[in-house]
Amino acid sequence: MGHVAEGGGPSLSTAFRRARGGSVAASFHTAEVELLRSLVGQLLELVHDEPADNSGDGAWAAELGLSDEEPKRPTDPVLLRLFPDAYAEDGEAASDFRRFTERGLREAKAGTAATVLASLATAEGASADEQARPREKVRIELDGDESQAWLRTLTDLRLALGTRLGVSEDDEDEWLSLDENDPRRHVHDVYDWLGWVQETLVRTLAAGLE
Amino acid sequence: MTAPVEIERPEAEESPAADVPWVTVVWNDPVNLMSYVAYVFQAYFAYPKVKAEKLMLEVHEKGKAVVSSGTREEMERDVEAMHSYGLWATLQKAGDRV
Repeated sequence: MGHVAEGGGPSLSTAFRRARGGSVAASFHTAEVELLRSLVGQLLELVHDEPADNSGDGAWAAELGLSDEEPKRPTDPVLLRLFPDAYAEDGEAASDFRRFTERGLREAKAGTAATVLASLATAEGASADEQARPREKVRIELDGDESQAWLRTLTDLRLALGTRLGVSEDDEDEWLSLDENDPRRHVHDVYDWLGWVQETLVRTLAAGLE
Repeated sequence: MTAPVEIERPEAEESPAADVPWVTVVWNDPVNLMSYVAYVFQAYFAYPKVKAEKLMLEVHEKGKAVVSSGTREEMERDVEAMHSYGLWATLQKAGDRV
């Protein structure tokens, strides 16, 4: 499994903490909000991007099992990681499962991503009220449903970036040894940062489960 | 990360019974955080923290773990839920080699 680099907390954002009324809160730099918005927007496009033959009546029929047109096993490794085979050794059962669940899973992932975008937009709206001096820090406060959406969307983002990068366990040193100008190093920094944000959110929410 | 010391509640060791035909298996992956995987086991299955962390460590160290058992329909629901959380999960007959 992945882990967060020791002492790897970024300097710009603050960790998620328990806030009043059962919500959780953290503050982000406006540049980080912008980055999150861009990444979540890309994720939305990715999970919405369905094959053309799965639209309209075809999709309806496929969902009811009345059509041969079924969601095909994704060839994109990121999509295959987000929507994995449910049966490791039974292609037919995996295909059936995909036909009955993938559409719903895509909608669910799109829904949580949209919730995250909405919470980012609200936070920005609040900061826009301050005239003259634009704020550099934006406070993000999340209720229970929003926290769950953030948890899942941060996971989906890390799965997407991690799969594209080809991360493996305990490979930190390899990424750190990349040239500063290597774009992969920048993407890996973003991946690490998302992990740090998620770790602080998970710890805060896990403490509330006990 | 240091976990607070807890007095472990005695808990029946739940292995899939012979008459329960299907299991959900969660596989290790290099991305998901250990804390998150344990949280999902706690939040979705309502497992006590100790059991959730034990299962998480089994996934991490052995590459996979059986996390629930029941009917095929129940296991399909669990697998779908795990996928919605971003965990890599499959289901299979309880007797089949994991």
